[in-house]
Amino acid sequence: MEAVYRDYGPKNVKFYFIYKTLAHPELAGNYVQPFTLAERLTHARQAEKQLGATIPWIVDAIDNRLKHALGDRPNSEFIINPEGIIVRKRAWSHPAQVRRDLEELIGPVDHMTREEDVHLRLELPVRVPAPRGALPRLSRPEMQPIVMEPEIELDGPPFFAKLRAEADADLMEHGTGQLYLGFHLDPFHNGHWNNLTPPLSFTLDAGDAVKLDTTTGTAPKVAAVSDSDPREFLLNVSSWPVEEPIRLTVTYFACVGEESCHTLKQEYVLFRKHDPDGGGARGEGAGYWDPKDFAKRMLAGDSDKDGRIVKSEAAGILLPHFDKLDANNDGFLDLKEMEVISDWLNSYHQPAPPSQR
Amino acid sequence: MRFISMCCVAAVISLCTVDAEAQRMQQKEKQFLKESPLIGEPLPDVTVYSLDGEPFTTANLRGHYTVLTFGCLT
Repeated sequence: MEAVYRDYGPKNVKFYFIYKTLAHPELAGNYVQPFTLAERLTHARQAEKQLGATIPWIVDAIDNRLKHALGDRPNSEFIINPEGIIVRKRAWSHPAQVRRDLEELIGPVDHMTREEDVHLRLELPVRVPAPRGALPRLSRPEMQPIVMEPEIELDGPPFFAKLRAEADADLMEHGTGQLYLGFHLDPFHNGHWNNLTPPLSFTLDAGDAVKLDTTTGTAPKVAAVSDSDPREFLLNVSSWPVEEPIRLTVTYFACVGEESCHTLKQEYVLFRKHDPDGGGARGEGAGYWDPKDFAKRMLAGDSDKDGRIVKSEAAGILLPHFDKLDANNDGFLDLKEMEVISDWLNSYHQPAPPSQR
Repeated sequence: MRFISMCCVAAVISLCTVDAEAQRMQQKEKQFLKESPLIGEPLPDVTVYSLDGEPFTTANLRGHYTVLTFGCLT
């Protein structure tokens, strides 16, 4: 898109990326959904750095009003004419098509900028401050995010750990099923678990009509002194009437650096209601690339089927890094180099490796 | 380059489409075209924020063509 912007920006076409709620929390840097506008603005500034594009960003409100107003898609695209009328829309961004659209609407440019000429200055994701993989991820069935409201105190400490709450299909539909509670450290607050302090614990408080197999939970003791893994729980719910919210209080120590630990007690209200803005978290193994799987997937983009990828066949994250990744400088990424790239991506995004591996 | 693929490695996979995947995407695009707001309708008037946290009103996007693309870090 940056290439299209460089050609059509000078022709008075305005381009904006709209920063919205995360499509896949936990992926690509362990990011978690922000709770406040200030946190979302921080995400957007990071996105600007990671993408390296010069296209300006605007940031959706924390109630996701622009996403809702424009059809609730993760990567949709719109072209608006000078009168403010939508003249093109698509569910998935397609820069080559945007170029064709602008050629039709405004006219072609004399010299087209190619993607490989753009040379984006990409920055890496924010790193979590302590290792991951100390505490195995919880395996959970297919679940969907539910609406939960953090009780945010003005001028209070941030939510270093942020709750992700999900329900399985039975719980969602019938009020009887499994409830996932995961407390994920927000990498932007740079906190880690200091395992010399008492582990995270929570209590649930609800009306008599709500029946849970437990109303308290304590995270397991972790042998490593410090880690960044989520603290996860799977509860069995035998009755949760849709009109009954559940109040959750969580107590934990969040530590920044070696000395500074905050004792935190934070509250949420949970609703048995699907959260359409929660995004799809993949849980265990999210973001982890198996070298062989990765190479196979990437070679699916090998349009001339010669078993290797040239720059014009490279896509996504590979393209701006192509020259660096082409270890032997032969102009191709081959199977072996692909496997090395998966290791690079794993170190780049810091996923916790799946426990079964 | 598709924007999402820059910010989401998982989406890189989606670029490596097979025919069935391409058909599924086409269906999704057709469905999206039927949903509000439609082509020919005004851009909804919504106030969001600039990267500095200043209010940004979509109603001000007048007098020039505008390309809007949704994205995120993941």
